[in-house]
Amino acid sequence: MNNSLNLLAAIVLISTTPPVLTAQGGIHLLVVSGLSGEESFASTFETTAGTLIDVARDRWKLPEGSVIWLGERCVDAPPTVSAIATRETIASAFDTLAARSQPGDVVMVVLVGHGSGEGEGTRLSIAGPDPVVADYQRWLAGLFGRTVVFVNTASASGDVLPILSGPDRVVITSTRSATERNATIFAQHFVHGIASDEADANKDGTLTLLEAYDYARRAVDEAYTSAGRLLTEHAQLDDNGDREGTADVTLPLARDGQLAARLVLGTQSAPTDPRVTALLAQRRDLESAVEALRLRRDAMSAADYADEMERLLVAIAEHTRDIRALEQAGGGKP
Amino acid sequence: MRRLSLVMMLATAPLAGQSAALHLDRVESMERSWVRGDRAQALAWARAVTGAWERADRGANWSAADLIVAGRAWRMLGSDDPGAVRQALAAFDAATARDTTAVEGRLWAADLLLERYNAPDANAEYRAVLQRDSVNARAWLGLARAAAFEGRDDAATLAERSVAADSSFAPAQLLLAQVRLEAEQYDSARVSAERGISLDGEREDGWGTLAAVAWLSDDHDAFLAAEQRARELNPRPAGFYVTLADAAARHRRYADAVRFADQARTLDSLNARAWGILGINQLRVGKMEQGRASLERAFARDPFHVWHKNTLDLLDQLADFRTVETERFQIVAPARDAEFLGTILGPLLEEAYDSLAARYDYHPPTPVRLELYSRHADFSVRTIGLTGMGALGVSFGTVLAMDAPAARQPGSWNIGSTAWHELAHTFTLGLSAHRVPRWVSEGLSVVEERRARPGWGAHASVAFVTSLHKGELLPIERLNEGFTRPSGPGQLSLAYYQASLVAEMLERDFGIEAIRVLLRSYAEGMADDAALLHATGLTTDSLNARFEGWLRQRFAAPLAALADDEQALFGSTLREAGAALDGGNVALAVELFREARDRFPEFGDANGPNGGLALALLAAGDTVGALAALKTVTHQDETAGAANVMEAAVHAARADTVAALAALARAAWIMPEDVNIRGHRAELSAAIGDHLGAVAERRALAALARTDPLSARTDLAEALLAADDPAEARRQLLDVLEAAPRYERAQALLLEARARLNGGGKP
Repeated sequence: MNNSLNLLAAIVLISTTPPVLTAQGGIHLLVVSGLSGEESFASTFETTAGTLIDVARDRWKLPEGSVIWLGERCVDAPPTVSAIATRETIASAFDTLAARSQPGDVVMVVLVGHGSGEGEGTRLSIAGPDPVVADYQRWLAGLFGRTVVFVNTASASGDVLPILSGPDRVVITSTRSATERNATIFAQHFVHGIASDEADANKDGTLTLLEAYDYARRAVDEAYTSAGRLLTEHAQLDDNGDREGTADVTLPLARDGQLAARLVLGTQSAPTDPRVTALLAQRRDLESAVEALRLRRDAMSAADYADEMERLLVAIAEHTRDIRALEQAGGGKP
Repeated sequence: MRRLSLVMMLATAPLAGQSAALHLDRVESMERSWVRGDRAQALAWARAVTGAWERADRGANWSAADLIVAGRAWRMLGSDDPGAVRQALAAFDAATARDTTAVEGRLWAADLLLERYNAPDANAEYRAVLQRDSVNARAWLGLARAAAFEGRDDAATLAERSVAADSSFAPAQLLLAQVRLEAEQYDSARVSAERGISLDGEREDGWGTLAAVAWLSDDHDAFLAAEQRARELNPRPAGFYVTLADAAARHRRYADAVRFADQARTLDSLNARAWGILGINQLRVGKMEQGRASLERAFARDPFHVWHKNTLDLLDQLADFRTVETERFQIVAPARDAEFLGTILGPLLEEAYDSLAARYDYHPPTPVRLELYSRHADFSVRTIGLTGMGALGVSFGTVLAMDAPAARQPGSWNIGSTAWHELAHTFTLGLSAHRVPRWVSEGLSVVEERRARPGWGAHASVAFVTSLHKGELLPIERLNEGFTRPSGPGQLSLAYYQASLVAEMLERDFGIEAIRVLLRSYAEGMADDAALLHATGLTTDSLNARFEGWLRQRFAAPLAALADDEQALFGSTLREAGAALDGGNVALAVELFREARDRFPEFGDANGPNGGLALALLAAGDTVGALAALKTVTHQDETAGAANVMEAAVHAARADTVAALAALARAAWIMPEDVNIRGHRAELSAAIGDHLGAVAERRALAALARTDPLSARTDLAEALLAADDPAEARRQLLDVLEAAPRYERAQALLLEARARLNGGGKP
């Protein structure tokens, strides 16, 4: 079997059960890092943007043409800035992605920097005239049919969400309104969670956009609390197109999060060995049994619950061990 | 009958036009009745007066003197009705407006503001009075009371100004007595109290103050005499016992404060102050539920009292705190921090208890309760009822309170030494029946810090040797003033260090048994000089001479340097050395830093010569020399976080893992939530086979891992396996996998743990 056919796209649309669906097409990433104003911010913005670019190229294996970084200044060391971020270069980047992508693809846009304005006038500070939300709205319209992930990590970014909210879109902002104007730290934690896999909350080896968002939100909260500071940025996510963001997407009955939970950040590969396929299926059954057992917890004695849970978890672990053994013997992953 | 007619007269006729002197006599008489608990008569009078005031269009045509009478009547009603307090203030303000040349209205308004805990506005009023009348004894007294209320150190000076303005003013003498009593100057406190009583023998607080002096001096007969006199004046002298309770609390005798306050509230169940002091001190001795109930009673009577309000708010927060228990400690902290703080402080406190119990041959009752607050303001409220206290921790005996890491800038303090310090107070307070003078208790606590870990506790400073050189250090018999009446934060720091040196000298010359005898002597009621004589066989004068000689020997080098240059110990040398280092002239920098260091070799401040010398020597490639300089810093400066991390890096580069671990351990007490330091310690511990050390750090990291707890707990399980504890590893892993069944690393470790438990090796 052609290995390249088995390598799924870097970001794939998956269903919750079974976990993986084949991607409809490719993935494309545009990162815009804005004006810093001072060296410490310049370093932070560049490191954050550069790390995400690195992850996209090296771990998600995105092709060169599908990764664009528009920055404040040219950076000598890789990863390199594609061009200085201006209204024109951003417009051009959207044109490029529109031309390069196909319906069914995923286009992820991440803005990093200082934000300002409010409502329609919300903007990211870049060299020259700053694009406002209407500009992004127009540029995103060219991506019809694609699943769009728009992440504005800038200060005062909250008002973007209701304006850019729409079907097949995930909109994330680092603040809940334009009044949260202090410099934000959401971007650093969002990218760190992705780059380090710390955000993989259920440790299943696949990182969803929802996990990355939730990790960053919790990490921001933790950073402020540890420093004894009042939280001045409240991130929100909208992915149901209702123009209303949700902060804690893990809450029961949270309105948002379903689309973000199906967007996996990273590569997936399918097994070639039918024995591995069978073991994976058995392992999924065991995982379902764990879910079912959790639901029966209150109806069981603590000892019975613990015994049964251990039996299932050990069985899952043994299946994983057997899968890896087959893979190492050459019959597993391509 | 006479009372009825007066009340009727006041109820039916406007005050205007009547004799102000008559009203003054009446109001003072009623106020005395009120204080004595004869409230029905006083309230009837007050209602009559205020009714007349209201019917007269809020005294629209009344004289200033009559308006003040109305204000005083409203003030009396204000004990039950917060709205009446505002009416009182309005009446006093109207009096001031009526006669702008008189100060009486302002004084009453100021007194009322201060009674209701508004010290800033009260201060402004008193100062306005003094601008008109610079020798107004009441105004000076008001400023003194406000200073005492705010915990300022100028209360005594201001009270003395009041006495100077009017030596026959009894309240000023009594306040002076109370201020001196708080400074543990019992003789002068007694003199002032007796003067106050001789001027006005009908004041319960006067007899209460005199009784407090007697009680704190263990003069039982004098105490009984004062108590009898108070009871003769008033069969139910609640104010007398309130004064005693307040004095007891200010001398850290919290259980006695509870006892006196309980007597007071039994005599007068409506006395808000009695309930308040009772509640605050019940909380200090760990009676949390009773304390809350008492404070709620106090608050119901006096909703203006910010201490009680703040403390009740704090108790609401405490309901969400979590308690981590060890063998002898309850560590109470916000739920978010409790596990981590219990993990790092639990073993330290247990170690400290054993160490201190051996030192003092005394075992305080357990459990000892340690409360930690993530907001410094909350810790401050727990301690003094108000925000703004500068201290890091406090010991009420077997209840301790201190800041949690989030309350302070990381690297600015040492959580380990602070906990050890406060626990040492538990021993010295307990062994002395809470009678140890502050200087002895603080001095011993600092000594115990220094004994606990290298670098912990106060160390020699430039300010200290400069004070020594100038002869400005307090003699032993006045050392307590450095704590109770410091001239500023600088003197307080000096007092801590100096007290620790006195304690150190006592132990060096007379042994630890002398320290135990000293503390037991206080418990038996001996005063400072008698206790010192009993413990050492030397008079305070002899000890002063011995101490002075020892200091001059110990600090000979910096004293000699100061003799050469009175202006600055290091002159411009440090600045020049820094410039040389910045400019790349490493050799010159080393030379200059060494020159500065030799003027005060043991000075270990991270920003001092040794810190600079370490950097210069590292730049010169002399790691051995740099380590020596770094050690001087890390072993003298308990907050030298960066220096400890640097020292660890140098040790690690020289493959001295044990020394690197020790430096990182010191750094971890300074930056307790720094995961890099703890992670590094875990790795190094594992590398040298100290698996229990690695487990301890992994456990702390697991408690700290609030964004990725599953990875951290899996790391802990791995360390437990390495430490040959597969059972605990299995428990941790099952918890992890229940939350994340697909976590492959945890799965593999679980299989290994089970195999080990079944007697096998790796599965």
